[in-house]
Amino acid sequence: MIFRAVEDADLIRQAARGKVEAYNLLVSRWEKRVYNYLLRITGNREDALDLAQDVFLKAYQNLRKLDDPARFAPWLYRIAHNEAYSMFRKRRPEADVEEIEPESTEGGITVGGSSVFPMELSLAVASALGRLTPDQREAVVLKIYQGFKFEEMAEILACPVSTIKSRLYTALELLKIELAPVKSRGVS
Amino acid sequence: MSCSPFDLRDYFLKELPDADQRQVEAHVRTCQGCREELERLRITEAALFALREEEIPQRIAFVSDKIFEPSGWQRWWGAFWGSAARLGFASAAMLSVAIVVYAVRPVGQGRAVPATPPVVQTLSEAQIDSRVDAAVTKAVAVVEARQQAQTQKLMADLESTRRRLLVAASEYEYYQKRTNAFRVTASNYSLPPSPAQGDGK
Repeated sequence: MIFRAVEDADLIRQAARGKVEAYNLLVSRWEKRVYNYLLRITGNREDALDLAQDVFLKAYQNLRKLDDPARFAPWLYRIAHNEAYSMFRKRRPEADVEEIEPESTEGGITVGGSSVFPMELSLAVASALGRLTPDQREAVVLKIYQGFKFEEMAEILACPVSTIKSRLYTALELLKIELAPVKSRGVS
Repeated sequence: MSCSPFDLRDYFLKELPDADQRQVEAHVRTCQGCREELERLRITEAALFALREEEIPQRIAFVSDKIFEPSGWQRWWGAFWGSAARLGFASAAMLSVAIVVYAVRPVGQGRAVPATPPVVQTLSEAQIDSRVDAAVTKAVAVVEARQQAQTQKLMADLESTRRRLLVAASEYEYYQKRTNAFRVTASNYSLPPSPAQGDGK
């Protein structure tokens, strides 16, 4: 357990009163998680970094609207989700957001031609994640990598828990078929 | 199809209440099929964690710029309107005050007194002038009366002072005359010789 002299809730209250130093400390605690969430749903480092900056700026501007500091994490990820999907819509305004896929190749998620996750199992995972729909992939990222509860995921994605579970369990079935044999062979 | 009393995936993801979680644990100990399904989920999760979290390539930080920062009042106002809880509390407080005021206000004989409708008059310019003149005349008369009263008081005070001075002058004259009379009487009497003068003879 990590002891924190100042809790996030205190930092949020101070930042809401205009203390930028408190907000910078809060950002330093969350930027890695938010960046990785955005990286896994966009598949692009530059986009993930740009979006992360936008997310934290927007969060700062709207921090006073956050009534319960305990709900900061789902609230922040809700902003991140909206920013990412807003970017998807701008880039492909004619396409349905459901059809938008992150940049990917057979070898996995790439940035500028180089693989983000070079190891074999990592490639298999990236490939398997790339074959999921964006909604399924985001459900996996939020649950498995970010560790949110179903209720928090419903708040972030603005949809019922039943929908979240449906997306996640379908994704897990597909991932299980693809990844369990690879992992069982001892590839790592 | 799992034969577990609850969804094995909910159990695996720790989304079940504690009691349900314990029931599934007990079931899995006795069910080979569910144990194998659970193992596949664990392998899949372990494979997913082969993707490591990356460090953010550039730290995010903000600088304070007083020009763009809202004032304390603007922050309070923004927070007030942005907070449903604060708005709700303010509304409830206003409603409570209104109820208390309505409950304690005096009501004549239990009947509401009809409000007197405001009388709207249209006056001509001449009427306005005459009213203004009357008001000015009245004001001037009041001022003049006040000044006259002050003048009379001053005159009365002056007269009273003059009389006191006259009385004082006549008294002074009387005492002057008496003093002179004493001097004349005294000069008519010769004083007897002093003993010192007698010894010198």
